[in-house]
Amino acid sequence: MIPNEAEEDEGSASACRAADLLLDMGSVLLASGAHCGRVKRNIERVAEKWGYKVELFLSFTGLMLSIKDSQHPTRRVARFKSCPLLGVHFGKVTEISLLTWSVLEQDVSIDEVETRLKEIKAMPHHPRWMILLGVGAACACLCMLAGGSWKDAGVAFVASFCGMFVRQEILKLRFNPMIGFIAASFITTLISGLNMVHHFGASPEKALATAVLYLVPGVPLINCTIDLIEGYIPTSTARGVNGGFVLLCIAVGMSMSILLLGIYNF
Amino acid sequence: MEMILLTLRDIAFAFVVALGFGILFSTPRRVLYVAGILGGLGHCIRFLLLHNNVHIVPATLAGAVFIGLTGIFCAHRVHAPPVVFTMPACITMIPGLYAYRAMLGCVKMTDLEKLIHDPTILAQTAHYFVLTSSMLFTLAIGICSGALIFRKKSVKVMFKRTM
Repeated sequence: MIPNEAEEDEGSASACRAADLLLDMGSVLLASGAHCGRVKRNIERVAEKWGYKVELFLSFTGLMLSIKDSQHPTRRVARFKSCPLLGVHFGKVTEISLLTWSVLEQDVSIDEVETRLKEIKAMPHHPRWMILLGVGAACACLCMLAGGSWKDAGVAFVASFCGMFVRQEILKLRFNPMIGFIAASFITTLISGLNMVHHFGASPEKALATAVLYLVPGVPLINCTIDLIEGYIPTSTARGVNGGFVLLCIAVGMSMSILLLGIYNF
Repeated sequence: MEMILLTLRDIAFAFVVALGFGILFSTPRRVLYVAGILGGLGHCIRFLLLHNNVHIVPATLAGAVFIGLTGIFCAHRVHAPPVVFTMPACITMIPGLYAYRAMLGCVKMTDLEKLIHDPTILAQTAHYFVLTSSMLFTLAIGICSGALIFRKKSVKVMFKRTM
């Protein structure tokens, strides 16, 4: 009787450990901008390899998971984990996807998966200067694509560079992220609006419209539609509302500086 | 000849846009160039269709579906999930100018006298709003076109079975 019990304890302990690990993986994926179908596939891939059956419930601010040992149906664990609202990080999504494939194909042990997941969680974003230059160049090129002149593109570059800088500073001070969006779009539109007031470029409207595009919540909005198509309604609604509200904040920041400069009379 | 130059210019600018958004979304460095190439080609398809008098929404759909489908093949080659580079690539076609005009229309509509004087503001704002939202929806459809067409659980499994 006693050895059997010991074995039983060990079995449920490892089930708990696996559940915690899978939950951790799922919350990182959800926070870094993976759509629900991807989160579910990655978790199921690992769980099936380790001999568990998974039931998953995904929400926007957290996820719930219950696993069942395929050999011993009495061993069940159910856990919940809330997940933080972090920024989009596709590097983490890539690395976790590769990690789950290596579990499936190369039989990586649970200890190694834990250490590798820890490394993935600590992955930094690209260096700050690179993000600022990338954002500036992207907005300048969007301005050119929309039909602006080189001067307009230059203004769009400076405007989006400064706006992104302000947003990073505000996020560093741990203000509400929505304040960051409003402030960034305000600063960006103020700079690109001066172009319109002083008639510097040939088509200042293009610069004004494209300089704020780096703030557009493309990932939440696109994920919202993908989730809707795949049938994850709660997550999809939450992402859509979140993305819509960010758009509203951008519009508020823009209207504030447009009204300040009086551009709407043009 | 001029057309070729314009197309190349379009590809070059869209390449930089996709690269910039890839950096913003922290796409790994080793696959950034894939995002750039897909963005350039997708935007170029839209540019050529627009040049041949196709409406902007179907043209965007064509570009986005191209990015979505080509992304699947690239994902297999470079060992990274497709969303990592199809997302920044599709952002090159984001309807910024229309969104801005819709917003500016809303600001103008706060002035009742102006609106009564020129009621076309209402129609214009509604037009730009519908155009913006349908283009955003189109981009999302493009990105998940692969999943919709192939019905397989994972891209990697699909390639294994065919090879």
